[in-house]
Amino acid sequence: MGLRLSLYLGFLVSTLLVRLLWDLRFAPSWLYAALVLLVVGLGLWTMRGSPALVWVGGLVTLAGLGVGYFNAVASLIALAGLFISYHGWRNHLSEKDQAAFWGWVFVWPALALLVFWQVLPAFYAVWLSLLDRFNFLGPSRFAGLGNYEILLRDPLFWKAMGNTFWFVAFTVPIGIGLAALIAILLNERVRFQGLFRTLYFLPYITALTAAAAVWDWIYNPEFGFLNYLLGTQGLDWLNRPEGIFSLLLAPLGFQLQGFFAGPSLAFVAIMVMTIWHFLGYQIVVLLAGLQNIPREYYEAAELDGASWWQQQWLITWPLLSPATFFLFTLGLIGAFQVFTQVLILTPTGGVLQDTLTVTLYLYNKGFRDSDFSYASAIAVVVFGVILILTLIQQRVLERRVNYET
Amino acid sequence: MRRSSPLGRFLIYLVLTVGAVVMAFPFYWMLATSLKSPQEAQQARPIWIPERLKASNWRVAWSLGAEAGSSWWGGFGPQQSVTLKLYAPPGPVPQVMVPSPPGAFSDPRSEQTRVQVSYQGDHWAIRFTNPSSEHFRTLPAVILISKEYPSYTPELPPDAIRSSGDDWRLEYVNVAPGLLGYIFHNYLEAWYAAPFARYFFNSFFTAGLQVLGGLFLAVLAAFALARIPFPGKSWVFGLILATLMIPGEVLLIPNYVLLARLEWIDTYYALIVPWLASVFGIFLLRQFYLSLPQDLFDAARIDGASYWTQMFRIALPLSIPGLITYGIFTFLGAYNALLWPLIVTNSPEMRTVQLGLQVFIGEAGSDYGALMAASTVSILPIILGYFIAQKQFIQGVARSGIK
Repeated sequence: MGLRLSLYLGFLVSTLLVRLLWDLRFAPSWLYAALVLLVVGLGLWTMRGSPALVWVGGLVTLAGLGVGYFNAVASLIALAGLFISYHGWRNHLSEKDQAAFWGWVFVWPALALLVFWQVLPAFYAVWLSLLDRFNFLGPSRFAGLGNYEILLRDPLFWKAMGNTFWFVAFTVPIGIGLAALIAILLNERVRFQGLFRTLYFLPYITALTAAAAVWDWIYNPEFGFLNYLLGTQGLDWLNRPEGIFSLLLAPLGFQLQGFFAGPSLAFVAIMVMTIWHFLGYQIVVLLAGLQNIPREYYEAAELDGASWWQQQWLITWPLLSPATFFLFTLGLIGAFQVFTQVLILTPTGGVLQDTLTVTLYLYNKGFRDSDFSYASAIAVVVFGVILILTLIQQRVLERRVNYET
Repeated sequence: MRRSSPLGRFLIYLVLTVGAVVMAFPFYWMLATSLKSPQEAQQARPIWIPERLKASNWRVAWSLGAEAGSSWWGGFGPQQSVTLKLYAPPGPVPQVMVPSPPGAFSDPRSEQTRVQVSYQGDHWAIRFTNPSSEHFRTLPAVILISKEYPSYTPELPPDAIRSSGDDWRLEYVNVAPGLLGYIFHNYLEAWYAAPFARYFFNSFFTAGLQVLGGLFLAVLAAFALARIPFPGKSWVFGLILATLMIPGEVLLIPNYVLLARLEWIDTYYALIVPWLASVFGIFLLRQFYLSLPQDLFDAARIDGASYWTQMFRIALPLSIPGLITYGIFTFLGAYNALLWPLIVTNSPEMRTVQLGLQVFIGEAGSDYGALMAASTVSILPIILGYFIAQKQFIQGVARSGIK
């Protein structure tokens, strides 16, 4: 009975979802009709030998589905019928069957929203990426893998991917390293720990838009504070497309080109700002990890004559690995989502698109060039890349993570 | 106990302090710039304490404001007059005029203002009179004073001093500022230049509903997943787990298309509904409910409590810390978001604070004072919230990292 009830409930909700999709021209009307027939069949099977009230509810549900054929919102009447039926069943249902009913009733609202706004759209993105220039301006036709073909030869896409690579390579180790240093020092039972923690944490809860506006002002070529501090009057940090490695190594006579020239100075400026923004979060996570390490370990090490540095390297660092692993994963995924600070600091994507990131490129393609298909192709490729990276990371790195303390 | 030498302690504090200064500096810089006049902001050598923060100027601003109508917020009332003193030895008569707006943002100002300049013992008294029956928010003024003067001291320091031929050009953004109007001039400029009140309403309304709706949905689902045995539970949980893998940027385009077909673009629905159900919230709360002892629920069941009662009377009160964590995170995410509001809204009435700020950045140009003022205001609610619920913020972040 519990299973039948769950199926009845599940198909009823699915039917209503399909009704909505039909309204939005995503599902054909016959699918709704077919599902209604299925629900009716399931209903008859479930309600066999039930009290009269159950059947009344069933009729209301049927009426709701019928009216729903003409009006999507009215189809919700069917849900009222369901609860009437349950009222009739209530005293005849076993504990287990009641659990089946209420479990699904509780789960369905969130589940329906997740399916409608996350699961189906993910598949829809794949479908869109197979079309030719889908947008609201005109009809589009099936283009197969055409978008992906163009994408793989698109220098701007590779520029964005390269920037993402540099973003991970710079911000993740530097961020985690700095955060570990600060967290370990904060954990040394310092005074004003709360004050320090607040000061380090505030940038993280500050909106990136406002934070980027401030950094834009700090980076200002004429009146910026950074140029005053470094004595580099007039240096326009955010408009310098030269790679950082080529800038650093040029005095030594090395000439680096392309990818190996490293991220542009402008992108480095953006990364510095991002590290500043994210550091507080990393510190708090690492601090929580540190406080989980039992003090006895250090006491034992102390007795064995281990120095402070040895204690940090041999006890703290390995036992902190779950937290650092988590931060690494987060940094990796987050690098593909960098958008706000780039848009504020370099609204056009920088000189020669040198600060282009994947999400900014996706935004430009989708919402400035109105090419939803190409933008979807970017999204799908990014999805794939993230998936592969996460898998590799779990296979290779997670083995070295020390979960037991 | 770990040993710690005095030198070691010193180094620890040194590193922590230097780091904290670097972290806090942008905030100081934002705040300081927001209180500066444009000329103060645009100095090659930074000015650490703006004129607008000096108490001696406050007194003058207060009395000037009081003369013109309001000692707190200033403004140039109808039929009012205000006198600015310019201490100087006798010399050529300074020229005074009410200019067209100097900043990026224009505001109606008194065109017919009468100006009388007279010498009174040791100073020039510059008297502005508003003959109209209108109230003006600001009274900008420009004073041209000959370079022949060996020295001169205006009562209120001008917002900019420029060289103009044989004269010094003293520019005031507001001669009738009032105390708060003087200190927070840039804030008022920003506030009047863009509908920030509307932006704040939009942000709080959409973020608040997202939190409330999201909490309700997450509590329901998490409770069922943790505490109710129903067929297909593992299947549902697997689906939710899989949803976790979908990165946000994949959903931008398809969700935009969905919203367009629902005709929800540029509505509050677009800002709220797509992110209502949160996998993060469901996970977090499920974890909470799993950690509660089963006996509690068994006892309630024996007493005849329905699942509904169990959830609201037992599980919900016990999971308040988790709810607060989730609420803070959702609110932060919604309030600080830029990309999504940028995509799904078009009209100024639907902008959130962050989107409004982004547009403002484009409009403000080089008026960094107003821009920093707007930035400060935009982060203020979150900073205040942090100081009120500091523990929950920190614990929430720490908790998100451990599991």
